[in-house]
Amino acid sequence: MSQEISRRDFLKLGGLGAVATMVLTGCGTAARYVRRTPYTKMPEYTFTGQSTYFATTCRECPAACGLIVRTFQGRAIKVEGNPNHPVNAGKTCARGQATLHGLYNPDRIQGPFKRSARGSEQITPLDWNAAIQVVAQALRETSPQGIAFLLGMAPDHLFDLVSDLARALGAPAPIRFGALGMFEARATLRKATQNVLGQDGLPWFDLGAANVVFSFGANFLETWLSPVAYTRLFSQMRRGERNEKRGYFVQFEPRMSQTASKADEWIPLRPGTEGWVAQALGKLIADARGLQVAAFSGVNVEEVAQNSGIEVAELQRLADLLMKARRALVIPGGAALAHTNGLENAEAILTLNALLDAPITLSPLSPFGDAYHQPASLQEMAALIERMRRGEVQALFIHGANPVFELPAALGFAEALQKVPLVISFATFPDETALQADYVFPDHHGLESWGYQRLATGSAFPTLSSSQPVVVPFYNTQATADVLLAAAAQIGGAVAQALPYTDEVAYIQARLSPLLEQKNGFFGAPEINTFFAYFQQYGGWWKTTEETVKPSWENAFNRRLQVKAAEFAGEGEFHLLPFISPVLGEAGANKPWLQEVPDPTTTVMWNSWIEINPQTAEELGLQDDDVVRVVSDQGSFEVSVYRYPAIRPDVVAIVFGQGHTAYGRYAQGRGVNPGQILKPVTNAAGDLAFAATRVRLEKTGKKRAISRLESILGVYGEH
Amino acid sequence: MEKTLTIPEYKADWAEGENGKWGMVIDMDLCTGCQACVAACAMENNISFVGEEDAGYGRTMHWIRIERFWEGTYPEIRMTPYQPILCQQCGHAPCEPVCPVFASVHSQAEQINLQVYNRCVGTRYCANNCPYQVRVFNWRDWPRPAPLENQLNPSVTVRRRGIMEKCTFCIQRIRQAEDVAKSEGREIRDGEVVPACAQACPADAIVFGRLDDPESRVSQLANSPRGKKLLEELGTLPQVTYLLGG
Amino acid sequence: MAVAAKPLPHAHTHATEGPDHRESLMFDPRPRGLMNAWAMEAMHETSWKFWAVAAFLALIVLVFLVGAWAWMIMEGLGLAGVNRPAFWGVFLVNTVFWIGISHAGTFISAILRVLKVEFRRPFTRAAELMTAFGLIQAGFSILMHMGRVWLSYWLLPYPNQRQLWPNFHSPLTWDFLAITTYLLSSLMYLYLPLIPDLAMARDRSSGWRKRLYRILALGFRGTEEEWEHLRKAMTIFAFAIIPVMFSVHTIVSWDFAMATRPGWSSTIFGPYFVIGALHSGMAAVVVVLFFVRRMKHMTYFVRPEHFDALGKLMLVISMAWAYFFFNDYIVQWYGGDKWTRMLLEYHENGPLGWMWMLMLICNVAVPWLLLWNRRVRRTPWLMAIIGILINVGMWLERYVIVPISLTINRMPFTWRQYVPGIEIPLGIGTLALFILLYMLASRLIPLVPIWEVQEGQMVHSLERVGKTYVPVVKELE
Repeated sequence: MSQEISRRDFLKLGGLGAVATMVLTGCGTAARYVRRTPYTKMPEYTFTGQSTYFATTCRECPAACGLIVRTFQGRAIKVEGNPNHPVNAGKTCARGQATLHGLYNPDRIQGPFKRSARGSEQITPLDWNAAIQVVAQALRETSPQGIAFLLGMAPDHLFDLVSDLARALGAPAPIRFGALGMFEARATLRKATQNVLGQDGLPWFDLGAANVVFSFGANFLETWLSPVAYTRLFSQMRRGERNEKRGYFVQFEPRMSQTASKADEWIPLRPGTEGWVAQALGKLIADARGLQVAAFSGVNVEEVAQNSGIEVAELQRLADLLMKARRALVIPGGAALAHTNGLENAEAILTLNALLDAPITLSPLSPFGDAYHQPASLQEMAALIERMRRGEVQALFIHGANPVFELPAALGFAEALQKVPLVISFATFPDETALQADYVFPDHHGLESWGYQRLATGSAFPTLSSSQPVVVPFYNTQATADVLLAAAAQIGGAVAQALPYTDEVAYIQARLSPLLEQKNGFFGAPEINTFFAYFQQYGGWWKTTEETVKPSWENAFNRRLQVKAAEFAGEGEFHLLPFISPVLGEAGANKPWLQEVPDPTTTVMWNSWIEINPQTAEELGLQDDDVVRVVSDQGSFEVSVYRYPAIRPDVVAIVFGQGHTAYGRYAQGRGVNPGQILKPVTNAAGDLAFAATRVRLEKTGKKRAISRLESILGVYGEH
Repeated sequence: MEKTLTIPEYKADWAEGENGKWGMVIDMDLCTGCQACVAACAMENNISFVGEEDAGYGRTMHWIRIERFWEGTYPEIRMTPYQPILCQQCGHAPCEPVCPVFASVHSQAEQINLQVYNRCVGTRYCANNCPYQVRVFNWRDWPRPAPLENQLNPSVTVRRRGIMEKCTFCIQRIRQAEDVAKSEGREIRDGEVVPACAQACPADAIVFGRLDDPESRVSQLANSPRGKKLLEELGTLPQVTYLLGG
Repeated sequence: MAVAAKPLPHAHTHATEGPDHRESLMFDPRPRGLMNAWAMEAMHETSWKFWAVAAFLALIVLVFLVGAWAWMIMEGLGLAGVNRPAFWGVFLVNTVFWIGISHAGTFISAILRVLKVEFRRPFTRAAELMTAFGLIQAGFSILMHMGRVWLSYWLLPYPNQRQLWPNFHSPLTWDFLAITTYLLSSLMYLYLPLIPDLAMARDRSSGWRKRLYRILALGFRGTEEEWEHLRKAMTIFAFAIIPVMFSVHTIVSWDFAMATRPGWSSTIFGPYFVIGALHSGMAAVVVVLFFVRRMKHMTYFVRPEHFDALGKLMLVISMAWAYFFFNDYIVQWYGGDKWTRMLLEYHENGPLGWMWMLMLICNVAVPWLLLWNRRVRRTPWLMAIIGILINVGMWLERYVIVPISLTINRMPFTWRQYVPGIEIPLGIGTLALFILLYMLASRLIPLVPIWEVQEGQMVHSLERVGKTYVPVVKELE
């Protein structure tokens, strides 16, 4: 037989090649220095006409889902879930899917630059050496107390690096913030857990083990904490996989959210009365079982019924439901916690679980063994803003956060920013905060970056999720970690000694090296290079045993609890309930395909809307698409009416996620930002009481059509 | 070589009560309406976005959409379960016979409905005749500003204006899995082919597989008493089964 | 050499008594030379107003038809109002409408000729032209409708390297073939009776006209043999084209009736569409005649008696249309299919319910209330208005059937209203082209078949029966 390979043989070989590449490809250390090469000289892991798959971590929200990204000849083609990952088990949400529209977004920042004036589009491009010098100079010449680092919510390697840097400099520790944390009321949840259980950490609600679930405002199927993980547990509950019977689900909230729409019962209680309702249910259960629970003892059920709008018989039925359940679970979250009495609400709701043998544990610590890193509450952000306003902050470094857009305008972040002499942003996208920065030194997109990320919650297994570049950086961007390391080296002295790393990867490897000792991981390696290769290849490292912390309920039975009435700011006749867009989240508005993915409950695309009960709308003489002016004592804006049949008549709801004034062509000038008119009141845990603002509506006589997928003709049975 | 002019068949060669090859089961009790399938489908299949105005005018290009309706009025209001609607890959597809140029054809090998984009001249008869309204038309050359084109999936044709398109059950994935199975000299395993929507679905509400294999997960779910086909009364023999109730 | 209609065996008897008979064209003969001269004069003499109107129409065609269409081809159908679920819109409405208009030509000409209905004689030509010109507009409209019009030849069965034929299962393929057949046969049917008049014109003109007519007249000299061939050919075509005509509109109706949509899937759509086509076609003929009558000398040829006769026909057709409409409606309504019931409800009470109502007013109420009256029927301007109203009604009928019915389907989540966009200028463009073609044709060919009128006048006579004179038509040959 000749040496020539026939075409048929070639195709066969190609088929085998396909099999070979279907196996996940990890980047070893050799792949650290990826560069663009002509197709004739492809890297060894690239076959012509074959896809290469890389494991990494989704950066669209802090939940840290594992991804497998299909790449083809150097381009990222498709995002898929990592089937082995403990958080998402091969699944993704819509935002994760659309992450490629961030990577290839036409409005990305393409290189480092200096802004001629804040807010101006006029820029002077810099090269990276100059950029590093700017950073080094700022770090060197600013007094350590005048330096502030503001990072995104994810507790990732950059957070660790910046913490180390701040420590070396003697600067305050970095602050992490995200609107998602604000709308999740994370600080409240943590504080309530501390108060009720006496333990620190975020609770982990194992829905799959429950067969009756009551949720007070927790929108765990949308954006809350770790939505993909919770959706998987919800699916287990509904299938009755671990409980034989299909689980029953009741959601208490004034507006039917996407999560509530999946509930068997939606109970539209009066906003701010969640804690009382939980107390009343607790009292009914405790009385029926002859128990004494201090937190519930002083409750007058009839009074609660009157205040909340749920009748006594109804409360009794719900309490029976909980009592008869083999395993019941009550979840506090979201809007229930976003009142001035939010912390007490959370405590009352959490305490209810003490009576129920609820499948609640505390989320495991990270494999590093360090505590839960809580993002800043609104109070902490307010403190930072106060420091900025007083001129105590001379250099502000911002990465992964967009506080100008995300914080309530009344908090005055934008004004305080003017008092900061030097603002350096590491934004990938031209967001509102980057627009107010003096320098922008763009970081890589998440899919072009190295890294690791801890889970705040989302799995019972201690997990460290890994990131690696799936494509070569598309623009002239630099990893912020590299920029900071280079700047530290330039500063020299103790700072350089504290951070003796050549680059980001070296830092990550150094951080990972303690894990080599750990024996209960699903893989191990004798030395760091092999470990790191596996770490990238599998998408992270996690233990094979659950390490959740058992809650101690003893304290809960004896703890007295007084739930005060919620206070509301403003004079208007409606409660304003902002809710974070289930599809866009807080930062998805710049991705065109996410804009075109309809909102699950309203099917609206590409814009904001205000949800009004149809009866209320009729009383006010409002039709769909009528533009109304929404007025609070903090300001006003105009938005189109969507008559939403499943919302309390005294509540109006506006989606959060639109209303950008920058952030690229797909986000800018689209819709409204409810943060503009929120009164920045907080609850006792320091979280924003975002549901505590009252508004009134003024007709404008204008009309602006909302783009919706559903038919206007068919849905309400009208013509 | 002898050349013959052949007219492709437009009907599946199975009858009512029998099963086709590929099928899907969607559990409406599990579907949370999260739209992950919608986004995943768009990313996998190079579907264009159309912008606010056209989207509001019924020109979205979603190959899969999630329907829901309202029943009653507040406070006795109920949302019907989310129902993802995609091409039902009918055995007797009304879209197929009406196409004058054989752009809408039945794949004999895979027993699904295919749209031959290059052949489509845009009469839109197929879309009118589709009882499920799952066909979408390229009313324009939808803009895809650079560098978004880098994301395009090379396994799927990019469509220009004037062309009808629809869900293909991710035929490119089916074919790839078949190639792999063939090169390994075996049959395709159950669960080996996963369309983008089923792959993304966080609730695992979408199950895909071989209906002609009674052991497959999809076959067993499709035979569930909860199973219901959409507009079954039209005799289109849909390949998608919806599981109602809990 | 002068060419005249074939000489008749009987001497022409002309009755002077009974002035009421002179009202009839057939009993009001003029010398042939004079008539021929009138016809020539009507073609030749053109006022500047005529050309101003023609230039205006040409501009509209250029901008609204050529320009807008080119833009739409470049941009895509997004410029039109079509969407999901109304995948078909005004383009299809216009197609059906123009095909409907084109039916009158054949109906009046062929059916009336076959049935030897004598009042047809002065307006067969105008009607046949309408067939040809209407079909051109229908063709344009269906091409506009296509997403990739530059590939429309793929609908033709031609041998090709792909080894693909069009899909003969598809009603659209039938449609394409039927319309093509109809266009070709009606063009020939238009041409045949035109030959003697072209020969007449050839003998009475000079310059380029003479050269043109010489070619077009095919050397027709009016010999006995030529007349015999011509009559035979016309008879064959008249008989053959009638089934073609019925088939065309039946097949057009099948585009809808073969679909699985509520409201469309109806067995009566075939005859219902045919009668609807006749309804609009007859009305259009009346409108055209009204304008022909305003040309020089044409009041002689087109008389109130013709409007009168057409009015009676219109009334009968209107009743037939109403009958079919009711039949279609009652069966669908009684059937009780929930989607169909919703559709009918939407037709009547939806946001475009006024269209449904106006359709019934124009198509039924107006003819029924007015056309029974002889004085109305004999007033040309009133008849023209009624003709326009009926055409509005018939256009609305197609609008109700196409985009409004498409709004309602079995997936209520997708229901959505259709709002026409660039269809409006394009539709106006086709209408302008239709009128422009008529105007240009009036400069080139006699809009009244002179020989047919002369032939008619020869065979008509008044014969004395007792004391009264009775009109008599003698058989030719």
